Amino acid sequence: MGHIQLNNVCKSFGTTEVLKNINLDIQDGELLILIGPSGCGKSTLMNLIAGLEEITSGNIVISGSDVSDKSPKDRDIAMVFQSYALYPTMNVARNISFGLEMRKVPKDEQENTVNRVAEMLQIDHLLDRKPGQLSGGQRQRVAMGRALARSPKAFLFDEPLSNLDAKLRVEMRTEIKKLHHRLGTTIVYVTHDQVEAMTLATRIAVLKDGVIQQLGTPYEIYNDPANHFVADFMGSPGMNFVECVVFEDKLIIESGSQNYQLAIPCSDAVKRSNLESVILGIRPEMLTDPKPHENNPYVHEVEFNVEVIEPMGADTIAIGKWNGVEVQGRLSPESGETAAKGFRLQVDTSKAIAFDPRTGQRVR
Amino acid sequence: MIADKFSSINFGRILIYSILIFFAFIYLAPLYVMFSTSLKDIEEIRSGNLLALPNDPTLYAWAKAWSSACTGSECKGLAPFFWNSVKIVFPAVIISTIIGAFNGYVLSKWKFKGSELFFGALLFGCFIPFQVILLPMAILLSKLGLSNTVSGLVLVHVIYGVAFTTLFFRNYYIGISTELVRAARLDGAGFFDIFRHIFLPISTPIFVVTIIWQFTQIWNDFLFGVVYSGAGTQPITVALNNLVNTSVGGKEYNVDMAAAIIAALPTLIVYVFAGKYFVRGLTAGAVKG
Repeated sequence: MGHIQLNNVCKSFGTTEVLKNINLDIQDGELLILIGPSGCGKSTLMNLIAGLEEITSGNIVISGSDVSDKSPKDRDIAMVFQSYALYPTMNVARNISFGLEMRKVPKDEQENTVNRVAEMLQIDHLLDRKPGQLSGGQRQRVAMGRALARSPKAFLFDEPLSNLDAKLRVEMRTEIKKLHHRLGTTIVYVTHDQVEAMTLATRIAVLKDGVIQQLGTPYEIYNDPANHFVADFMGSPGMNFVECVVFEDKLIIESGSQNYQLAIPCSDAVKRSNLESVILGIRPEMLTDPKPHENNPYVHEVEFNVEVIEPMGADTIAIGKWNGVEVQGRLSPESGETAAKGFRLQVDTSKAIAFDPRTGQRVR
Repeated sequence: MIADKFSSINFGRILIYSILIFFAFIYLAPLYVMFSTSLKDIEEIRSGNLLALPNDPTLYAWAKAWSSACTGSECKGLAPFFWNSVKIVFPAVIISTIIGAFNGYVLSKWKFKGSELFFGALLFGCFIPFQVILLPMAILLSKLGLSNTVSGLVLVHVIYGVAFTTLFFRNYYIGISTELVRAARLDGAGFFDIFRHIFLPISTPIFVVTIIWQFTQIWNDFLFGVVYSGAGTQPITVALNNLVNTSVGGKEYNVDMAAAIIAALPTLIVYVFAGKYFVRGLTAGAVKG
């Protein structure tokens, strides 16, 4: 089925290297997310897999056969585009069946496929409409229907949800996940939305400047980021980064005009590194209201001068300063109401990590 | 207050309409004079007022202009030359439009190394004055054995028109999402499939613009017509010139006027019937899908 291997794939446009030595082994049935800031090469990588652009060096193997020199139509791959790219003069049914028509599939079989796909995506009542008469969400479904019609080895999704409004995006996200469970087909999915990445992926590849920064499960990427960039990119609100002086095996922070010593799990590594200071990385959900705990050495209570309160509904983001740098905590809505200067903040450093301030790499 | 506003709008409207009517009158006056003169007999033209309506309208001048007026030594009217023009215009318009559509499709969606340079060079053709290419084109036509033939004139107009038609189509297609081409390629469609099934159906406005433009240009052409045609292959514009300049006895203004209207009629009709598509096509943006 759809097992995609990228071996040392490089891509340059003129003298600009867009992708550098990409190695990826995408298992059959996997939903791999390619994520990164704009210009990181994620869409280019997708176009290379589709065959819409030629690779500069390396090779691409799909289900055991080298497709590096094959044209898009011979790769047995379907793609959903950001703009949907529906054929404007054809109705929905023909949009879905066009790929079959081009492959000379018999008419009655085309019709069956259109009906099956339309039913699956709940667009069977729209088959006679033109794309111009559809809403954004409906177009999105038709674009997916077109990809589904051919039952390809793999699907490529290029930021498919970025043109939808927030509510619809969440709905379609769930739909795509259900679809993936149901069909079990390999999907490569490009996005710049880290929530989409976390919720959908079986594995995530984080790209920056044409280099894969980290490849791992959503849990690994979130809790065990390889470097400062990955830690910063994933998570909303983002991870807090505070440069702290190392004192023996603890880190010193100044909060609410007092100094505190924080114990961290990677203290041995920090000691070994001989760095005078490191960047402490700690997620906002680790900065909370005081909660009961059982003598956990990583739980500290610090005074926190709350400067800004941002209620999110389910919880409230409180912003204050450590070592003069803004940090965010996640409080319950109740204590968020009253949080102000001198708030007692509970800091759980059991998942805190440290980065080398010069290289941005993890200290471990 | 409301009354004030109402009357001020009215005053503005009146001013605008009077100016518009005034200019419309000025622009239409020559057409009126031509038309009314063509319906008068020669006596009335000599004695009467230029702006007066014909007393006793007659189609004599039209009949003569069409079938028996002298254009040089022959006296067969404009009819044979009208058909010459038709024989030149139709193939030239169709061929140059088709080539332009393909050029535009390739230069916008199938870019190759040097395609921008190629387009730039082609664009240059839009700005070359007719006169510059007269001599080399004459040499080319004689080498091809097409001097003084209808086919030769068709070739000249196709070559000269391709620069414009390519520009029109390329600029229209550049506004159409390239993702459409990519989607179709993944669907298994080839170069011609994509053109036929996706680009052709959305190209009506630009086809209308291009056809009107080419039709008008080629029908109204005088210079190429006078240089590259032989005695039997002259287009109507050249024949009109000969007709007006050939005087047997006194000048027959009524016949001249009728002949001029006949020569201009096809482009006028095209404009009246398709003019709104022309304006719409020129301003049409990308087709959103």
